[in-house]
Amino acid sequence: MAYKVKLDIFEGPFDLLVYLIEHAEMSIYDIKISEITNQYLQYVEHLTRRDTILAGEFMVLAASLIEIKSKMLLPRTVMDGSGDLLEDPRSELVQRLLEYKKYKMAAEALTEQEELASRIFTKPKEDISIYTENPEISLNIDLSQFVKSFETFLYKKKKIEEVQREYTKVERQRMSIEARIEQMKNLFRGKKKLRFHDLLEGETGRYHIVLTFLSVLELIRLKSVKARQAVNFGEIVLTMGDKDMPQDKGESDDDK
Amino acid sequence: MTSKKTIKSALESMLFVWGDPLEAKVVADLFNISGKEAYDYFKELQTEYDEQDRGIMIREIDKAFQFCSRPENSEYIQRLCTPVKEKRLTQSAMEVLAIIAYKQPVTKGEIESIRGIKCDRVLEGLAKKELIQETGRGTGIGRPILYGTTNAFLKLFGFVNLGDLPDIEDIGKVVREDDDEAEGISRFQQISIDFRNA
Repeated sequence: MAYKVKLDIFEGPFDLLVYLIEHAEMSIYDIKISEITNQYLQYVEHLTRRDTILAGEFMVLAASLIEIKSKMLLPRTVMDGSGDLLEDPRSELVQRLLEYKKYKMAAEALTEQEELASRIFTKPKEDISIYTENPEISLNIDLSQFVKSFETFLYKKKKIEEVQREYTKVERQRMSIEARIEQMKNLFRGKKKLRFHDLLEGETGRYHIVLTFLSVLELIRLKSVKARQAVNFGEIVLTMGDKDMPQDKGESDDDK
Repeated sequence: MTSKKTIKSALESMLFVWGDPLEAKVVADLFNISGKEAYDYFKELQTEYDEQDRGIMIREIDKAFQFCSRPENSEYIQRLCTPVKEKRLTQSAMEVLAIIAYKQPVTKGEIESIRGIKCDRVLEGLAKKELIQETGRGTGIGRPILYGTTNAFLKLFGFVNLGDLPDIEDIGKVVREDDDEAEGISRFQQISIDFRNA
């Protein structure tokens, strides 16, 4: 009497045993151990061929069944002649089967309950960060606001570009040596002697100082002025040179 | 003291904003009332929703409350958005979960002795789903891990608390009553067979 059953139906040895007992329409309190053991072993044998590890799980109960079966063969009357019966060798198994069956039924009840509960829908925890976090961070605006922001951005970008253009123009408009000489000519007018410092007229910009110095050097080269420096890093004193100041070559230098 | 009506109304708004189960003792602090009072207000609110047969119900999960849809409407919700059904628990997972739910705190050894089969992987899976958790260590040899169920478990099955579990002794009785009649007769028969065998 072979039971060809799908392996995954049984969740364990007790599950199998409960199935076999119910299938044979036996009372759980009166298991025909011999019959059930045979069926159980057949199944285990079948299982061993397919999944040894899983079959191992069923072996302990198989051994218990065989033990019970052998005990069943022994007389159970107490030898003192009182007629009292020894405990049924199956009773422990019955207790364990009942315990298992209880939880199996509880599992079924839970499955039903799960089905019922699955008809109830809830929402996940609400995202309340829009209330709690800095509103500036979240982009919680409509389309027109967004367009406006973008226009503001474009406007600012344009402004910056304009400023940058102005800035480079200033760079180009820097004074040339020729123009500086022209300015210095006015300062020299009517004076025999000038300190280099006087030429700067209080301006301290690096470019202005260097430009003035280069202009002085140019005038020295042209022999329009003479320069004396008494000590290292001392004041440079300029006097009119042998030649006149160079003539202005025109205003075009300013536009360079 | 804020009036009862105001508190109940506020609780309703809070449930709406919060979404997740809202614990009575958390809101109690906000109104300077006791946890018990907050709980009672929630219960009253729940009754009001029930009495009016609203499409929204308030459900309780271990003294926390949450809005949820009425189960009778599930079909319509499914028409609206066909929610993907979560993968159901397998029979073995359900058995292990049942044992843990009813016997908690319980060790792996106890679970395995009831089912007669190892259950490491099932426990792992249940823990991953956050349906069970370690609740401590037993006093036995090796101080085995004790397992218990979580609030996620209550939520999944729609239980208010563990007292909501179907009565397991009732289930047991059914088995017994079914078998009682057969017992007397057949045991007698079995015994006589034994005598012959002996």
